[in-house]
Amino acid sequence: MPTDPGARRAEGAAVPALALRGVSKRYGATTALEGIDLEIAEGEIMGLLGHNGAGKTTLMSLVAGLLRPDTGKIEIHGVPTDRDPRRARRDLGLAPQELGVYPPLTVRQNLRFCAELAGLRGQRARVRAEEVAEPFGLTALLDRRVSGLSGGEQRRVHTAMALLHRPKLVLLDEPTAGVDVETRARLIAYVKELADDGTAVCYSTHYLPEVEALEASVAVLDHGRLIARGTLPELVRSHADSAVELTFHGGVPPLHLPWPVTHDEDGVLRVHVEQPQLATADVLAALGESARLLVNMRVVQPSLESAFLRLTGSGAPDRRPPASPAPSPVPSPAPSAPRTAAPAPGAPANTAPARGARAIGGPDEPPGEDDHGPLARDLEAEQHG
Amino acid sequence: MGDGSLGRIAALVRQDCRLLVRDPAPLIIRTVMPLLIMSFMQPLFRAALRADDVRDANGAEQSVPGMAVMFLFFLVNVVGFAMFREHGWNTWDRLRVSPARPFELVTGRLVVPLVVALVQLTVFFGAGGTLFGLRVRGSYLALAVVGVPLAACVVMVGMALVALCRSIAQLSVIANLLALLFAGLGGALTPQSVLPDWVRPLAPGVPSYWAMRGFSTVILDGGGMGAVLLPAGVLCAFTAGFTVLTLVFFRTGHRKLSWS
Ligand SMILES: Nc1ncnc2c1ncn2[C@@H]1O[C@H](COP(=O)(O)OP(=O)(O)OP(=O)(O)O)[C@@H](O)[C@H]1O
Ligand SMILES: [Mg+2]
Repeated sequence: MPTDPGARRAEGAAVPALALRGVSKRYGATTALEGIDLEIAEGEIMGLLGHNGAGKTTLMSLVAGLLRPDTGKIEIHGVPTDRDPRRARRDLGLAPQELGVYPPLTVRQNLRFCAELAGLRGQRARVRAEEVAEPFGLTALLDRRVSGLSGGEQRRVHTAMALLHRPKLVLLDEPTAGVDVETRARLIAYVKELADDGTAVCYSTHYLPEVEALEASVAVLDHGRLIARGTLPELVRSHADSAVELTFHGGVPPLHLPWPVTHDEDGVLRVHVEQPQLATADVLAALGESARLLVNMRVVQPSLESAFLRLTGSGAPDRRPPASPAPSPVPSPAPSAPRTAAPAPGAPANTAPARGARAIGGPDEPPGEDDHGPLARDLEAEQHG
Repeated sequence: MGDGSLGRIAALVRQDCRLLVRDPAPLIIRTVMPLLIMSFMQPLFRAALRADDVRDANGAEQSVPGMAVMFLFFLVNVVGFAMFREHGWNTWDRLRVSPARPFELVTGRLVVPLVVALVQLTVFFGAGGTLFGLRVRGSYLALAVVGVPLAACVVMVGMALVALCRSIAQLSVIANLLALLFAGLGGALTPQSVLPDWVRPLAPGVPSYWAMRGFSTVILDGGGMGAVLLPAGVLCAFTAGFTVLTLVFFRTGHRKLSWS
């Protein structure tokens, strides 16, 4: 077994569960991926981020063998996929972005089929189907036809179908699209359990709080290029925006501030400062007379979201971040946990708008220790020009 | 083989069976309809055969094998649906990522249609004997020697069309045309003796011709195994030809359009 830890130790260094080296893929004139170098370690959860069309699905399809790379090499547990595709992909599970289930059959039959296809027979396939159904909350639905399930329930079946053979490398392409908060939390808990058992997980999502809840490392794709790869704190530290946002009565007055500023579309002035929670007093002082026109002041803590927007160029001045709900003009007192701590798995969906924003006078917590630590040396992030 | 290949094929076959059990109506209709048509056509064929000097003919000698051969080729659609629906359900990519090899995926999807074709032939000839007074002068074993390669040929036509067609709409229209064309040219719709002159030289180019020739030899002329070896052999050759077509053109990576 390529995953045998003994074998790994003998080789000296750990063999990554997945390694891509210089992988490129084009569809006609469209470059879907270019020169991707990426590793996922055993037991690692990697959040794969990127806008629509960034290449996430293409990357997973290449790894799963649904597509062939134009250039580059892919190794799964050290086995090159071009040389021994069957052995390399024996322990791979893919839940594609598009729902792929057998609608006329029951949940049980769908799951059993996947178990049987993976070589389990009779009683073992039956038991395994029930085992996998449990963490997805499908136990009560086992004998229902999939065509009669709700969209989110169908997606759970779809994701469960990828896991019957206990894959050691799991590719989940937007597994939480359309599922409810509770299912999302349950899925996240289960994925973490899988990772604790040594399974490597590549998890794509547009929903950044999930990545935080998963305590995942992050890879950011942008127009087919890997523009950032690292742990969450590393990424936030080196790329996230931090600012004090000011809203004035009757529009932004003429000001001369010693910090770089940007103007939002809706008349909000962003003052870009380091450690914004400490800089508020300085900012207020620098406003002078204009401070009397101030109607709202928000502390924008560095967050994965702002790091993501900054990296993908969508957080540029005067552009509304497309991936986030509009920041509420009402000061949000919601005290979210320090960003680096994983929110309770039950609540990631609810914390999004409040994350990274602090209301003046609201309960403001000191930022997590690693928010402002030195830049980690192994962070491989490059700005895509 | 030997690494669970048979098990995976069995899993695919079981899955096909489950899907068939979920909705058996189309297949039942496909089996009952030909029996009705046989009864409609019988008087016509009686007249044709008597005119052809088969004195004690009751018409079943032509209507039963004729309609059996024609309707068997409509099963080409069944093979097509079985493959294309995987694309419609997006489960094809699941199968490709599974440990199953392309060869196993194709083989697994052929088994149920093949069994269905054999069951249909059995029903057609069984009903022919009991309902329509079909008398087989030769051996039933010889009938089977023609019937089995015929069934194999039908499912391989289906798989070759799956390999060649991009959408189920294409496959379905081609399959239906072929079924009628084969039936007409091959002498399933009319006795071979009354085929127009220009058709005769073309007839051996279709598998139905050889199936009808084999069946007629057994039913009307009392032929045994020896007499059907040539038609059965030619049907095997057709099957091999369609298999080669499948092997050459089938790609697991081809995108296929299902209904909708
Ligand atoms: N079959 C295809 N033919 C042509 N171009 C394609 C095809 N599939 C994807 N592309 C293009 O390749 C690029 C990457 O697509 P991909 O599906 O990998 O993006 P993604 O990151 O998964 O997006 P999303 O978040 O919307 O799922 C896009 O520009 C897309 O238009
Ligand atoms: Mg995608």
